Amino acid sequence: MDEVRYEAMRAAVRDGDAAAAAALAASVVASGEDAVAAVERGFAAGIRDVGVLWEQGEYFLPELVQGAEAMKAAMAALAPALARGGAAGAARGRVVIGTVAGDLHDIGKSLVATLLAAHGFEVFDLGSDVPVEAFVAKARATGARIVAASALLTTTMTVQRDLVRAIAAAGFEPPVRVLVGGAPTSEAWAAEIGAGYAENALRAVAAAEALLG
Amino acid sequence: MSGLLAALTGARPLLLDGGLGSMLIARGLGGGEAPERWVLERGEEVAAVHRAYVEAGADAVQTATFGAHPARLARAGLEGRAGEVARAAVALARAAGAPFVIGDLGPSGEYLPPVGRADAGELALGFERLAAALAAAGVDALHVETMSDRREAALALAAALRAAPGVPVLVSLTFERRPRGFFTVMGDPLVASLAELAAAGAAAVGANCTLASSDMLELARAARAALATPLVVQPNAGRPILEAGVTRYAQAPEAFAADLAAIAALGVEAVGGCCGTDPDFIAALRRRLRAPAGGPR
Repeated sequence: MDEVRYEAMRAAVRDGDAAAAAALAASVVASGEDAVAAVERGFAAGIRDVGVLWEQGEYFLPELVQGAEAMKAAMAALAPALARGGAAGAARGRVVIGTVAGDLHDIGKSLVATLLAAHGFEVFDLGSDVPVEAFVAKARATGARIVAASALLTTTMTVQRDLVRAIAAAGFEPPVRVLVGGAPTSEAWAAEIGAGYAENALRAVAAAEALLG
Repeated sequence: MSGLLAALTGARPLLLDGGLGSMLIARGLGGGEAPERWVLERGEEVAAVHRAYVEAGADAVQTATFGAHPARLARAGLEGRAGEVARAAVALARAAGAPFVIGDLGPSGEYLPPVGRADAGELALGFERLAAALAAAGVDALHVETMSDRREAALALAAALRAAPGVPVLVSLTFERRPRGFFTVMGDPLVASLAELAAAGAAAVGANCTLASSDMLELARAARAALATPLVVQPNAGRPILEAGVTRYAQAPEAFAADLAAIAALGVEAVGGCCGTDPDFIAALRRRLRAPAGGPR
């Protein structure tokens, strides 16, 4: 593939154009080209651009959401080719994700789910207002190595601690790690309860990768 | 001119109340439990918070209807009860004896495209119903607040003006400090967004929530420099901190009051607090706003 095609893939994600991203991905699959290279040099470069533009204050929530959706569309179209190449999602690990009980905030959590999926994780999104037991049961059923829990309220972030305890009590082997995030949470809070931490949705991917070591 | 409009343009700033949800949590409201349920079932607790703010010196209390948009009530298991919540909430606020009662219109909790799939017409209809009920119950003004999307703020404002003709409508957006200035999470810039809402008929425009008072002082300077419309500013009490399982906010009442007095001294017409502020903050601010000539304002 030439640089112009990679740049088009990158731009499709950066500009949040899901239709263009899906079409470009489909053309890669149809022509039997290198799907992994399309992700690494094209689409993933675009989502990194989105992150940089957000950090710079150029992009806001709508651009993040649209960029993530474009990335997701590209990854969905590439999935069969990536699976043939042995780069299937399961290789990256499975993640159970949700917003904790009592908390209906959905956007940040959904953005993290989309970005994790876009980076090759197999994601099981339980939605919002998810009881601790449901996280544990889903981790058991799927064999997920990470449970990611969002809390947007100071009143519901304490549920993240309950979740860490419940996961520990369930005695998973190999151990399941908890990743937390949300406006009122912090590195210090995550350290206090014994969880991994992501400051924002874009950082969540690196945090998940770090947890899997 | 309504009494509240006169107060907004009077010689002294209008002192609003502080946090309500955080006060109800301190009184036992459960995590994720809707304050509107307490309006219906434990009205004495809501009334006690309103009373504490009036005793602290607030000129106006805002009704416990932040989450009373019909779409939001439905998700909290209170479907179809917006009118009932509005009537009860206004009665509780009125009973506290405040000079003014302001009907609170918080966000619908749903998002317009591309972030969400909400329908603008349906959101507007919900605001219209709630605003009409609050107006019928006799509020002195309405306050569209904690809006992170100026489009939702604008449609709520238009709905309130339609449903409650003659009732002044204040509009506050929630801004974050971003590398290029103050923007809402949706990317709406400070001055242009407030100017647009002022032009659309808001009696006052401003900011509430998320920012601490020191950031809000900077925001108020920028807004005052650009806008002649009355301004309303309600910061949080710093950032929330969780200690031993209990949430508290980082700031002390005096530090908050000092910043808010400086905000008032800029000529901001209405000041108060948001999350984490309590009657101590409002009392501290009341003392400063009553400072003799030569003091702030």
